[in-house]
Amino acid sequence: MKISCKALLAVVLVLLVFSVAWAAEKTWQSQEGEFKGKTITVLITDPHTAVVEAWKPEWEALTGAKVEIIVVPYASLFDKMMTDFITGTGAYDLICWPSTWAGDVMGGGWVIPLDDYMKEYGYPGWDDVMPAIKVVVSWANKVYAFPYDGDCHMFYYRKDALENPDYQAQFEEKYGYRYNVPPKTWEEVMDIAEFFNGWDWDNDGETEYGFAFIAKRKTQAMWSYLDFVMQYAAQPGVAPFFDPDTMDPLVANPGWIEAMKMIQKATQFAPPGLLSYGYSELRQAFVSGNSAMAIDWGDIGIMEQSPEEYGSKVKGLLGYGPLPGAKKTYDFKEGKWVEGYNQVNFLNFGGWVFSISKYSKNPLAAYKFATYFTAPERSILDVCGIHGYTGANPWRLSHFEDLDKWVEGGWSKESAEKYLNTIRTILSDPKAVTDLRIPGAAEYYDYLDLHLAEVLSGQTEAEAACKAIYEDWVKITENYGKEAQRKLYRESLGLD
Amino acid sequence: MIWSLTLSFQRWKAATAAPRVFIGFQNFYNILFRDARFWNSLRFTVFYVALVVVLELFLGLLLAYILNERIRFRNFFRVLFLLPMASPPIAVAFIWRMLLNPDAGIVKVILGGLGINVVDWLTNARLTPFVLIAVDVWEWTPFMFLGLLAAFQSLPVELYDAVSVDGASRFQAFRYVTFPLLSPIMVTLVLLRAIDAFKLFELVFGITGGGPGSSTESLSYYTYTVGFQYFDLGYACSLSWIFLVIVLVISSFLLQRLRKEV
Repeated sequence: MKISCKALLAVVLVLLVFSVAWAAEKTWQSQEGEFKGKTITVLITDPHTAVVEAWKPEWEALTGAKVEIIVVPYASLFDKMMTDFITGTGAYDLICWPSTWAGDVMGGGWVIPLDDYMKEYGYPGWDDVMPAIKVVVSWANKVYAFPYDGDCHMFYYRKDALENPDYQAQFEEKYGYRYNVPPKTWEEVMDIAEFFNGWDWDNDGETEYGFAFIAKRKTQAMWSYLDFVMQYAAQPGVAPFFDPDTMDPLVANPGWIEAMKMIQKATQFAPPGLLSYGYSELRQAFVSGNSAMAIDWGDIGIMEQSPEEYGSKVKGLLGYGPLPGAKKTYDFKEGKWVEGYNQVNFLNFGGWVFSISKYSKNPLAAYKFATYFTAPERSILDVCGIHGYTGANPWRLSHFEDLDKWVEGGWSKESAEKYLNTIRTILSDPKAVTDLRIPGAAEYYDYLDLHLAEVLSGQTEAEAACKAIYEDWVKITENYGKEAQRKLYRESLGLD
Repeated sequence: MIWSLTLSFQRWKAATAAPRVFIGFQNFYNILFRDARFWNSLRFTVFYVALVVVLELFLGLLLAYILNERIRFRNFFRVLFLLPMASPPIAVAFIWRMLLNPDAGIVKVILGGLGINVVDWLTNARLTPFVLIAVDVWEWTPFMFLGLLAAFQSLPVELYDAVSVDGASRFQAFRYVTFPLLSPIMVTLVLLRAIDAFKLFELVFGITGGGPGSSTESLSYYTYTVGFQYFDLGYACSLSWIFLVIVLVISSFLLQRLRKEV
């Protein structure tokens, strides 16, 4: 009997040890020496590599794993990633990609759904992720990506220009009305841009210009155009890309054409090198103080805070606002213009995300590394500037709360509050339009980008470009299968 | 080749799970009758090839003629002029992109120092094609130069002695002796260079990305975009076959014309 008691005790102890060990293993938290001898490879673009570089040393030291980083330019990312998927090479475990390619990547079934991992190992602060971002990382009700970046375009303006009472009075005399700060419509932006274009309004001895945006082909210029399109061709909550009933592209309707004319007009009030502005050139130029206004993701705000690193001459001088609206909008359902103010928030790009390739040889290590650096206490350091410019913008609810961290990242409390309020307002808008997410989004957008570039470089006119986009989009849709695309488009809008 | 020919009659979007479908000549029909981008890229490529080949032939001939003479530092110049050709094309493209950077590139600094303030060479649709042509001429004139220098050195000295005795000037000696003797090698060099220039890819990829707009999109770059960015492999194969046929036709045409001239 004594022996049986001892045996029973031993069994209980063994079970206890195993259950503790089992319980310890089943967590998203990385354990000491857990992945010793294993290597995970991360495919990524700059500047996001800064995040992986920042957390790699301590995660490697903790787990014994190695993290290899493959950095490619944005223009090559899609082909590098898809080539790896199509060939099944499995060269990359973790891939940082823009969520606008969701239709191809998630819809194509190339990455691992994370629900099972989240259920088994947990996920750090899932309830802390903003609802709009949860949509972005999901496809057909499954989570396929780690959120990492809260992306939406916002409006930046120079407070020392637009808030200057003398300039406001001069503007009113010239244009016959007093502008809003920040401007409320694109029509207003054009007037302000014209007013501030081509003279030294900040008295620094250099000529400044009106309005800057990304305009270079293959560097995401189409999202600049879509900022205009949303106001002239969409109503809040109504995506303006295709007719959801017929899958007919809407890109040649009067709203899109008007938007094209407006962005074409904007080039007249832009810095001379505008057509060579990719995202990095725009940000660098704007924080060096060359323009009165710009549109961009949250990145300009981060770079604004770093005079030493990015040559920012505008620290504390920038104001932030949502995208300007329009005085009229084209209602594609009714087929007519609707007069009256229209402002639509748009989740351009949808944010960068991380996914695990279905060919990954170390999916668990990849899962734990991604959860490590996207956990609340670490991701706040990446979005607020403490780790410098990472390309990641706030995406957790807690990112908007911890103002001390933002101040630590170099912000003034006032600037941080206004910047965060702007982003939070856009991301929290239930009627914000999400980006195009169906299969072929990269291809649709490449043609949009191409014809936009032809307009901006003076090779063609707005109407002809929109007609060309329409014809190209029809062909792409046919190629993917019209009915299949219609179904997926409706799903992506939550219509079915 | 057989595999790609087979694919050219199929619709295959490799990025999707959709199966390959036999569609006959649909891809070819779409390219030839519905694809403005194809015609635009073909137009640019033909224009580009014609211009670079003519310029490189002329400059190569001039350089070879000069460096065939006994001038000082002849060997140094011969090596110097060959260097661009020895560099990998993609490296050439990236280096020139940096040199031509409109904000901080050295070209802007040098031209600015000379009082020339052109900064939109990569953003002006009329100017940018000529920038690519200039870089190509810089890189590949040495190819013509090398071939023609070798040809110059193989010319029989006795002929020149003979025409000299007959009282021919240097120009007449070049026009009636050198040029006809060099023609066969020139035909070969032009053909080789034209075929190579038709494959224009690296400079477009590295410097302009096909832009501004579509002003510098070559046929190769367009085919690459369709194949490896849209993963429309059937269509890309059809484009490649059309590309091959065009190169063969133009090469045959050039060969015949040049032979007649010889």
